[in-house]
Amino acid sequence: MSNQKKRNFQIEAFKHRVVVDPKYAEKTWSILEHAIHEIYNHNASGLSFEELYRNAYNMVLHKFGEKLYSGLVATMTAHLKEISKSIEAAQGDLFLEELNRKWNDHNKALQMIRDILMYMDRTYIPNTHKTPVHELGLNLWRDNVIHSSKIQSRLLSMLLELVHRERTGEVIDRGLMRNIIKMLMDLGSSVYQEDFEKPFLEVSAEFYMGESQKFIECCDCGDYLKKAELRLNEEIERVTHFLDVKSEVKITNVVEKEMIANHMMRLVHMENSGLVNMLLDDKYEDLGRMYNLFRRVPNGLSTIRDVMTSHLREIGKQLVTDAEKLKDPVEFVQRLLDEKDKYDSIISQAFSNDKTFQNALNSSFEYFINLNNRSPEFISLFVDDKLRKGLKGVSEEDVEIILDKVMMLFRYLQEKDVFEKYYKQHLAKRLLSGKTVSDDAERSLIVKLKTECGYQFTSKLEGMFTDMKTSQDTMQGFYASHPELTDGPTLVVQVLTTGSWPTQPSITCNLPAETSALCEKFRSYYLGTHTGRRLSWQTNMGTADIKATFGKGQKHELNVSTYQMCVLMLFNNADRLSYKEVEQATGIPASDLKRCLQSMACVKGKNVIRKEPMSKDIGEDDAFFVNDKFTSKFYKVKIGTVVAQKESEPEKQETRQRVEEDRKPQIEAAIVRIMKSRRVLDHNNIIAEVTKQLQSRFLANPTEIKKRIESLIERDFLERDNNDRKLYRYLA
Amino acid sequence: MKRKDTVKLISADEMEFVIDKDAAMVSQTIRNMLTSPGGFAETELGEVTFPEISAVILEKICQYFYWALQYSR
Repeated sequence: MSNQKKRNFQIEAFKHRVVVDPKYAEKTWSILEHAIHEIYNHNASGLSFEELYRNAYNMVLHKFGEKLYSGLVATMTAHLKEISKSIEAAQGDLFLEELNRKWNDHNKALQMIRDILMYMDRTYIPNTHKTPVHELGLNLWRDNVIHSSKIQSRLLSMLLELVHRERTGEVIDRGLMRNIIKMLMDLGSSVYQEDFEKPFLEVSAEFYMGESQKFIECCDCGDYLKKAELRLNEEIERVTHFLDVKSEVKITNVVEKEMIANHMMRLVHMENSGLVNMLLDDKYEDLGRMYNLFRRVPNGLSTIRDVMTSHLREIGKQLVTDAEKLKDPVEFVQRLLDEKDKYDSIISQAFSNDKTFQNALNSSFEYFINLNNRSPEFISLFVDDKLRKGLKGVSEEDVEIILDKVMMLFRYLQEKDVFEKYYKQHLAKRLLSGKTVSDDAERSLIVKLKTECGYQFTSKLEGMFTDMKTSQDTMQGFYASHPELTDGPTLVVQVLTTGSWPTQPSITCNLPAETSALCEKFRSYYLGTHTGRRLSWQTNMGTADIKATFGKGQKHELNVSTYQMCVLMLFNNADRLSYKEVEQATGIPASDLKRCLQSMACVKGKNVIRKEPMSKDIGEDDAFFVNDKFTSKFYKVKIGTVVAQKESEPEKQETRQRVEEDRKPQIEAAIVRIMKSRRVLDHNNIIAEVTKQLQSRFLANPTEIKKRIESLIERDFLERDNNDRKLYRYLA
Repeated sequence: MKRKDTVKLISADEMEFVIDKDAAMVSQTIRNMLTSPGGFAETELGEVTFPEISAVILEKICQYFYWALQYSR
């Protein structure tokens, strides 16, 4: 059924009765041309859209699209030429306004024209690859108006003048600017760039070059930066108001280049106000501003960083090599901590915690702390001072803060084993004299050192603490088992494990009778509980409290060292003693004896002994008496302290030597470890590997490493390769 | 007259069809006619004349508009 139907039933395309009139095209076109004229003259209200649309439609349908299109071009061009004449005629400031108004009119007209010619736009134009109506309109505007010789240059100069006026502080009509710029952008980004943006950027560059030159002559660094920032913000604001967004990046680049990049070195090194002064005076705001501005410029931040680093190193070097400061180690370390705090706050507040700056700070500190090879000793002394008295009454959190800061300085040290040695010495003295302010603080510092350097570092230190505790228990046990001794002199013994404590050559002296009996009892008690151990008395480290009655009956309790106690007890049996007699009776070595006699006889306020003759030095033939005229305000008098002090020269040499000695086995152990895993390795690689492994303890010296390798070869741990003198082989 | 937005479409034989503006906007051409910035007669009066379209066709067209509105959403 449907097949049959199909043959019979044909739907013809609906054809309206169109006159195939040769004049048809002319007639239709003239209607449309008339309409376009009316539109341009703002007279469109009389027209019927539908009629025009239909006419255009018909023209295209009957293959007169070509005529329509070319006619359109011609008509529009004619109109635009008229318009451009009227714009040229406008005077002065009215020029831009006139341009703006005509542009708006043109836009409206164009839209209307496009609407009625919509059909042509959709069918004829894609087929013939011509430009669509809207674009055509814009292009014609551009060619006839903007690019007309008289208008183009005038437009540009007016725009640039307006910008210049605004820069110098006048208020301009921003709305107008915005519309004009928008017009340029609508005409195509190349138009905008060629006709406006490029000249704009050039003019701006010149302007800012001049301005920056002017400013830098008369302002100091901080002011200049303020002005630069102001200008930069102004330009950004200007862009958001009436320029193309894409221009923002370009104009900011121009400003940055002219105002900042070109004068960067000069700003940073400016006398009396440059970067260095800002650092010294803690000018956070200025520094922050400099940071933000320089960040926009390539190499800006690295310039700041370099200057800051070199300045820091200078200051650090001065600090560290200043002989005055070196006299007081506590002061010295405090200054270091203060500097670090200062720069930390500068970086966090002004440089927004930039990691690269932190790194620069760390490397500078590391550099100059290690310039002074007594730094480890001083840091240890600082800690010692704090733990003895500096932390009294300080809250727990503050203690932690101070210790953390010390740990930071510790990390910068390259010779950490030197620090370990000194710290051990000072800790021993503190523990034995019972002078630590807070046990918790001590322990927390040990924990921090452990996290930093590993168990090996702190094992001996912890051993010392354990010894103290064990000794307490031992003493309790001792007195518990010997109740008859509670009447006599009280003995407090600290049993020290030899490996953990800093070794000192122990020379015993002859203890007075009362005490030596007690000591023997203790020794037998101890060896009874711990067999297989050997005890030796370290009389040079002990202290004693003795009650003394002087000539006029004044009683005092004297806190003295063990040596001094032996000497004083001799005076119980004799009134007068010569130096030789004292020496013989006590068996104390000469230099120590001289020192302790000096502290008892020659020091004002503590002269419990009188010396004849009354000279400062102790001679072989001097005689000593009890000083009956001794007076003191206090009941308890302390004589002869065992305080940790800055080492004298010979002591320092000795410590250093011991450190060197200790390093040798460590280097050897490292070499053997490396060779065992690598089997064969050449000289340079060994040195590199060993240095890397030992980095956390100290900085290894390549010559030292070479010597150790030689010694290992002698002892048959390594051998040299037969063919290559530089290769070493591991011998199992 | 309803004050809702309406437009009038007039056919060749002078039949008037009053439809919603939304329905009329389905057609791009009518939409452009009505929203053109210029002061064309159509925008002012709110009515569009089609001297070459008969009433029957125009009726179908209006029906199509409403169908499109309903089912194209």
